[in-house]
Amino acid sequence: MEEKKPTSAVFCRGIVKSYATGPSKVMALRGVDLDVSMGELLLLVGPSGCGKTTLISVIAGILDLDEGQCRVFDHDMSAMGAGKTKFRGQNLGFVFQSYNLLPTLTAVENVAVPLLILGRSQKQSFALAAQLLEKVGLQDRALARPSELSGGQQQRVAIARALVHQPRLVVCDEPTSALDAETGQRVMKILRQTALSENRALIIVTHDSRIFNFADRIARMDDGRITTVESQIAH
Amino acid sequence: MYAIALKMLIGDRGKYLGIIMGLTFASLLITQQAAIFTGLMTRTYGTITDLSQPDIWVMDPKVQFIDDIKPLQDTQLYSVRGVRGVDWAVPLYKGLLKARLENGNYQICNVIGLDDATLIGGPPEMIQGRLSDLHRHDAIIVNDAGARTRLAKPPDVPGGAPRPLSVGDTLEINDHRAVVVGICRVSRTFQSQPVVFTTYTRATIFAPRERKLLSFILVKAVEGEDIGALCDRIVQQTGLSAYAAEKFKDLTYDYFMKNTGIPINFGIAVVLGFIIGAAIAGQTFYNFILENLRYFGTLKAMGAGNAMLLRMILLQSLVVGAIGYGLGVGGASAFGHLLGGTELSFRLTRELLMLSGGAIILICLLSALIGIRKIMRLEPAIVFKS
Repeated sequence: MEEKKPTSAVFCRGIVKSYATGPSKVMALRGVDLDVSMGELLLLVGPSGCGKTTLISVIAGILDLDEGQCRVFDHDMSAMGAGKTKFRGQNLGFVFQSYNLLPTLTAVENVAVPLLILGRSQKQSFALAAQLLEKVGLQDRALARPSELSGGQQQRVAIARALVHQPRLVVCDEPTSALDAETGQRVMKILRQTALSENRALIIVTHDSRIFNFADRIARMDDGRITTVESQIAH
Repeated sequence: MYAIALKMLIGDRGKYLGIIMGLTFASLLITQQAAIFTGLMTRTYGTITDLSQPDIWVMDPKVQFIDDIKPLQDTQLYSVRGVRGVDWAVPLYKGLLKARLENGNYQICNVIGLDDATLIGGPPEMIQGRLSDLHRHDAIIVNDAGARTRLAKPPDVPGGAPRPLSVGDTLEINDHRAVVVGICRVSRTFQSQPVVFTTYTRATIFAPRERKLLSFILVKAVEGEDIGALCDRIVQQTGLSAYAAEKFKDLTYDYFMKNTGIPINFGIAVVLGFIIGAAIAGQTFYNFILENLRYFGTLKAMGAGNAMLLRMILLQSLVVGAIGYGLGVGGASAFGHLLGGTELSFRLTRELLMLSGGAIILICLLSALIGIRKIMRLEPAIVFKS
């Protein structure tokens, strides 16, 4: 029987998430509904502390929700149990604000990590990692350690790492906030060109209004809720 | 991922070397102190192991260890010879006697008197002369360590090095002339006294006058005879104590273990080595985990499960453990080798290597355990905190 293709990348309804309990309880998400379609680049924007990072953590399955439902490619993350880690490794890619590149590894080794986690051979992983580095224009810096790279170069290595295993959903947290305008634009172009296709989606949390024009839709958050969702024609 | 785990570890040079240093120190201290302890304990029963021929040692029932001499009457030798299953039985004198050196100083020597006819119980290795030379007038054989050190003759020139005692030299043992006819090699004694071999009759002449002078009776069992049963028969028929050589060795060993401060002194050093090594290695390894927590979280977010991270951390801790163990044991061996010719008692056995290895593995597992707990509890969402 042919497997039914998922209709949306992300389908969230009534997500509630709080931190701590009792009087110090903080409601981070107060019933969030969100859909992300295949082939879409969605920006999540809003003031600090509004719940953006909590929302992408829940979507990525690295944080458990309290109430509601979150389906990623038709898989209920909260019901997956032990298989969640494997699902995440196969289907999700991450780009972090502070890059989180392992400082003792070279660029190509860093990029190869997701493949090694999935059990691919070293040889195959390094070959694919080298290809990805070429795609982000860093083929000549493959053997450099993160400390030997500029901020923009490190972010491009992080993007290559997020994409090397061809995930269907890439989640980025402030990918351009530590970069200058020109480098930020370049990073976004790479992300849009390499991470998006009709079967893949991209969610980016950002404060950086300079990159708003790259989005297909912009979801604005405030106080744990999505207040507006605007569609726009991405450049 | 194992290669990545090793790169994470080795790439942080300071911590990597710190953990190895801690483990090397622990391994060195545990191995070295335990080897000295074993060497020292081996010396307590060296005389028994050197005398390989007899199967059974017969002695006064009150004797607790090899140096606890309670002399027997000479006639008791004949009683032992009369027990069924005894092939031969010979007398052995063992006592501490004063030797007067050429410079007028006195030195206590461990004098061993062998059966005049057979010389059974002689040294296992002769360096100069022959054992049969003991049949010559006033003859003695001296161990090489004693000849080189405590019994050495004064320097030929003022300020020069003392001259080792050699064949042809004379000593005065308890006012009796003794001529060195050979130099032998024996196990060092517990108190490091020189060992002097002579015949039983001559030893009793050297010894101060006492009614009884027979220290031990050495017995060989008839071939095929059960040693335990023969010991029991000797005890029954003579009223003396009789032990198989191995059992007498254990008796001596146990006496020193129970009645001296040696085990506790060395035990403390070994435990201290373990604790300090564990503290240094554990603390450094924990710091390494803490500093890499963000990266472990990143691996977790990217799909690395707890089992994979556990294996990575175990590999890291076992690799530093193996290196630290190798360096420590190597250092201890070099120490023992370099000081091999001195008074140092050092005996590195396979069991000690296993003990030291076990201790290092334990330290590694403890260190890893602390880190593993942290990793297991780690929320991968930490990666989104800048």
